[in-house]
Amino acid sequence: MLSTTRTRRPIGITITHIALAIAIGFGALAGAAGYWGVVVAPELTRSPNDAAVIAASRTVERGEILDRNGRVLARNERDENGELYRSYANQAVSQVVGYYSRRFGSAGLERAYSAELAGLATDPLADALRKFGGNPYDPQDLRLSLDYGLQRAAIRALGDQKGAVVMLDPTTGEVLAMASNPTYDASAIADPRTAEKTFAALQDDPDNPLLPRATLGRYVPGSVFKIVTAIAALGSGAITPETTFREQAEAGDDGLLVNGFRIREGHSLRRGQALTLPQATEISSNIFYALAGLETGGANLVDFAGRLGFGAPLPFDLPTAASQVTNGRGEDPGGFVDDVELANAAYGQGETFVTPLQMALVASTVANDGVLMKPRLVTALEGKRGTRELGPEELRRVISADDAQAIQGAMRRAVEGDLGRQFTSGAKVPGVSTAGKSGTAELGGSGEPHSWFIGFAPVNQPRIAIAVLVERAGRGGAVAAPIGGNLMARYFEEFGQ
Amino acid sequence: MTASARSRPAPALPRILGQIRPRPRWLELRLLVLVAIVLVVGSASLGATVRGRPDAGADLFDPSVWLPLDVTALAIYLGALFAAHAAQVLAGRRTDQVLLPAVGMLGGISLLLMQRLPQDLVGSGFFGAEGLGQVQLVWLLLSVAVATTVGIVVRSDSWLRQYKYTWAAAGIALLLLTFVFGSDVGGQRLTLVIGPFSGQPSELLKVILVIFLAGYLSENRALLVEQDTRLGPIRLPPIPYLVPMAAMWAIALGIVVVQRDLGAALLFFGVFLLLLYAATARISLVIGGLIAFFLGSAVLATLFEHIGTRIAIWLDPFADPLGAGYQVVQSLHAFARGGLLGMGLGNGLPMIGGRVTIPEVHTDFPLAALGEELGLIGVLGVLGIYLVIIERGLRIGAAAADDFRSLLATGLALVVGIQAFIIAAGNLKVLPLTGVTLPFISYGGSSLLVNGLVIGLLLALSDKGVEPPPPPRKRRLDRILRRGAP
Repeated sequence: MLSTTRTRRPIGITITHIALAIAIGFGALAGAAGYWGVVVAPELTRSPNDAAVIAASRTVERGEILDRNGRVLARNERDENGELYRSYANQAVSQVVGYYSRRFGSAGLERAYSAELAGLATDPLADALRKFGGNPYDPQDLRLSLDYGLQRAAIRALGDQKGAVVMLDPTTGEVLAMASNPTYDASAIADPRTAEKTFAALQDDPDNPLLPRATLGRYVPGSVFKIVTAIAALGSGAITPETTFREQAEAGDDGLLVNGFRIREGHSLRRGQALTLPQATEISSNIFYALAGLETGGANLVDFAGRLGFGAPLPFDLPTAASQVTNGRGEDPGGFVDDVELANAAYGQGETFVTPLQMALVASTVANDGVLMKPRLVTALEGKRGTRELGPEELRRVISADDAQAIQGAMRRAVEGDLGRQFTSGAKVPGVSTAGKSGTAELGGSGEPHSWFIGFAPVNQPRIAIAVLVERAGRGGAVAAPIGGNLMARYFEEFGQ
Repeated sequence: MTASARSRPAPALPRILGQIRPRPRWLELRLLVLVAIVLVVGSASLGATVRGRPDAGADLFDPSVWLPLDVTALAIYLGALFAAHAAQVLAGRRTDQVLLPAVGMLGGISLLLMQRLPQDLVGSGFFGAEGLGQVQLVWLLLSVAVATTVGIVVRSDSWLRQYKYTWAAAGIALLLLTFVFGSDVGGQRLTLVIGPFSGQPSELLKVILVIFLAGYLSENRALLVEQDTRLGPIRLPPIPYLVPMAAMWAIALGIVVVQRDLGAALLFFGVFLLLLYAATARISLVIGGLIAFFLGSAVLATLFEHIGTRIAIWLDPFADPLGAGYQVVQSLHAFARGGLLGMGLGNGLPMIGGRVTIPEVHTDFPLAALGEELGLIGVLGVLGIYLVIIERGLRIGAAAADDFRSLLATGLALVVGIQAFIIAAGNLKVLPLTGVTLPFISYGGSSLLVNGLVIGLLLALSDKGVEPPPPPRKRRLDRILRRGAP
């Protein structure tokens, strides 16, 4: 025999190898089918983009949306052809409730809860029975924690200024008001007769009224961010409420030099005195918080901010933008470029951007003795086959109760202290102990700064936490703080002290 | 076929009736009965779902509600399967008994699916057939007829073996015709229209490719295996023998560019590489080929926008769920709605504005439709049936009498298997979506007829009792070597 035939292997063996390869390939297909059909199926089938959800929305009478007192915020109407369309209580709720339009899609809770409103995705058993049932759909009414009166008051308080207000119960995470201004007429989008004109006008509007600023707007925080720094500094053990900084006392009119960058105070109160955290919070000392931030370190600051919800979209009933302490492009711990960025971030002027909802959660966490509750709007789903209550959910403990109470005290001084009162005039709720922090976010260049306030009341047994942002409106203490005080006062009027 | 039958001289044609020696095929019969039961139950379920819809106002206790959706069509189809069985029994060949029931099951699923989809997805009918379900039934019957006829009649492979370069030339001519005269449908140049006939030549091309490769590789196998050209550390077969491989690579990429048909290119190149491996057992060739294909595709993706877009959609269809990623996202949602057990035949595929939301569901996404209505279990079942068909084909290849038959059977099995894999993977976002059909299930005449031909050839090859292969031809090299040997 010649050598050419000796080493030639029979074809059968290679065919076995091919069979093995094909089996592996088909195994991968089976895995993929299991992944899409079972693992991520619950998520996909309740998505507003799901064909079954869209198809059901067109034929089924969608559930209503009600505020916490049962007031109807969204209901169904029929046009002259008998076709269904949606109608909404008031423009004030548009940024929360959203709209549902056959032509222009959906937004807000109408979008996020499209599957439930159309009567799909109620629970696995019902989904299984739907295959056999006569009427397959059980549209759910959404019961919200929102208070219609408070929501309208918040929109009125913003007036013709752009901005956002978020009010929530710090112990349960229930959102009582979530206003974004300017708002829009959701009924006009849903009504087929006016939909096209309204939608075109809204899309061209330079003020962007379709943007829910409370959840998707990202703003420079200014001094309200000092509360995040305080949480990180105390929580990491970098400082105590009694810690003072010699460098802060020695910084004169020229401020503090960090790596050649000069940090200044916004005023000349208590110049030359070494301040503790409560004192520094009362007069909103930039230098104290810059030093506290440097002492805490970038890694701790980003870590504690992350525990508060920074760095990722918040778990919420509506889509939210992620808030950030830094853009993370630097090499220093936490992603800061250098100590200058860290020092600036510590008092809210670095590469820091936050949503109003995130800042409300910061206030809420301090108020709730350091425990962050999951923010939520929908408290119950009410269908023909029964009601499903959605209870409070604790996300995590951010700092110890002792540390939280130290910050509560500091924030109370910022509102009620002799000097604090000068900064945050109007934040105090008459007859109720009030804590808070104002912020004036410098944006560089000309133009007014963003005006911020976060706070809560009563200090000992907090029942309401608030964040107020007014775009380019001036000093936080002058604009946002009085809005915050008035709205909290309004809350106590309605719900009793 | 017995030994005595072969030893006698071939009888004259008029005595053909005297040749009939029926040979029972009990396994095939049992499997076909099983297929028939499954299809009748499935069709009854579909009928009850359609008639029992709330707006139809039917009484579910009325027995007529539970009849199959289209009794006549189902009866004709099952009748055709049993007729194919009977014809093979009469022919008396010892051919494979699993292929026909497996293909019959897939075709039956296809029939139910096409009956269930909106009937106006196809335009004109023919032979008195109207609408998707009836037209597909006609193609299915023709496909079964082709498979059976080829499986019974073909007893010699010399017409395939001897003219491999003729076949290759015909294939390239067909390809060039499509490149030049093909009409663009949906951005792809796949369809060739000649007078009243239109078809997708790439379906036929894949069979021609397998025939050519089987001939070429079996003839040059020894050389490809044993002789090396050293290129630094890399060992390659002799340079002249790399030319056809480079040509294959160029043709595959040409199909991607000119026809915009990534699926056919993947199919051709995948079959080519696997057959090359079967013949040579050189994994380095397969890896090298894959690298060359992906490098070529990567270059093309940067040069041609539509290829880059395809790949971007594949990586993240959810980035643009209502635009570029729409098809794939709709497909994935369909699998999700189906879940483990499915919505039931006729119960899924929600319509929006009078249309099924998955575009081209009857040609490109039948697996997604089955995933929604039959669930994960149904998808696994369908994939399992393809595995059975592949396994039978590979088994026929492994047991074949010589290299040519072995490679031919392997290639035919792979053509069906890899095509099913590519489109299923496209539906499931495992591979970029391509426009190849799901064999025996997708709507379409070209696909069904050619896949029927593939099954027919596999049946014919599975009969070991026929004409033995010719003795291996001595290559010139062998003869020279032998002359020099002592």
